[in-house]
Amino acid sequence: MSGVNDMMTKQSDDVIVKTVSRLLIPFMQIYALYVIAHGHYSPGGGFQGGVILGASIILLVITYGLDNALRKMSEKMNTILCSTGVFIYAGIGALCLILGGNFLDYAELDQILHVGIAHARSLGILGVEVGVGATVMAAMISIFLDIATGGLPSKEKNIQGKRA
Amino acid sequence: MEVTILVQATDRSFEILENAREKSKQILDTAARLTSESQAVHRKRVEAIFKGARQTKREITRFTATFIILFGFWLLLSGHYDLFHISIGLLCCGLVSHATHDLLFANPRAGDMRVIVKRFITYIPWLFYQIVLSNMHVVRLALGPKNLIDPKIIEFKTKLESDISFVTLANSITLTPGTITLDIRDGVFYVHAVSKKTAEDLLTGEMEDKIAHIFMEADHVYVQDTLDIAPVFVALK
Repeated sequence: MSGVNDMMTKQSDDVIVKTVSRLLIPFMQIYALYVIAHGHYSPGGGFQGGVILGASIILLVITYGLDNALRKMSEKMNTILCSTGVFIYAGIGALCLILGGNFLDYAELDQILHVGIAHARSLGILGVEVGVGATVMAAMISIFLDIATGGLPSKEKNIQGKRA
Repeated sequence: MEVTILVQATDRSFEILENAREKSKQILDTAARLTSESQAVHRKRVEAIFKGARQTKREITRFTATFIILFGFWLLLSGHYDLFHISIGLLCCGLVSHATHDLLFANPRAGDMRVIVKRFITYIPWLFYQIVLSNMHVVRLALGPKNLIDPKIIEFKTKLESDISFVTLANSITLTPGTITLDIRDGVFYVHAVSKKTAEDLLTGEMEDKIAHIFMEADHVYVQDTLDIAPVFVALK
């Protein structure tokens, strides 16, 4: 089974693929964040942007190998992002409950933000979309890593999740 | 008396000139050696990308350059130019720049980045002109007598060093109709050309020369740039 891990740690040996993918990844992420932020106006929203964000990290894994990609986005960070997204979503819903309305009744957020009810609803939706985007990105990456590593845990003790 | 002093002075000055010549020869030898170690340096550079940047000033310039480019891209994508969306854009570009600035600007480069960008922008019209010329040639091949079509695979060793210049050359070759880059291995390009004329146009090396001029590599190395870049290579080792 260690053969699967060796295959994923190998980098692509084509210089064009490596260079173009590393130049493209920041633009992919900006496009994903644009899709999330403009979900109220153009097609998109949280889920779609999250998938594009996940795809950018998956591209990093495919071209540069598992070790290098895990240095950029460790599995620990991945799990934290996943839970943080859910926390944001449920947190905004619970905040509306605490302020006196129903669950996810964003109009109650006007008591904190003071921008008008319609605007408060819009901002509430944007907030939950951000949470959805984070969770979807983490879920995509973790699904891919599970399939790629064959379910084996990465040698996280040797790979520093933090930058050196 | 004065003659001996004069002779001594000239001897001494020749000595100084000799030392200077030796030193400059050594520096150029080091530069040639460093810039021709493609494989090991490239692997080290990839590791340096992912271990994170160490020099803070270089990191700050990279961060701001990445931020500006990504924010321009955001403004292009988003049609809304009101305060809310622009502030979201600033926040998102800041996050992405922090995470990926060492991906976008990976190589320490000889020479000023602004000069390189300017030269790159002036290279693009020349490339368009080459595309138009090759297009007309391919149209003549397609519509005319078929005995001019003579496909072959050329291999040539390139004098360029960094990965961005490889990619620029490979993409330029593929963009001009008639030639396609198949593979790049160990600094050797494998290109498929559809006729003798396109192969000859490629093998004159004019495109490679222009790209070496953009990125200040190969024969276009300037001595001051080599002296500037030498401590960076020492730090990378």
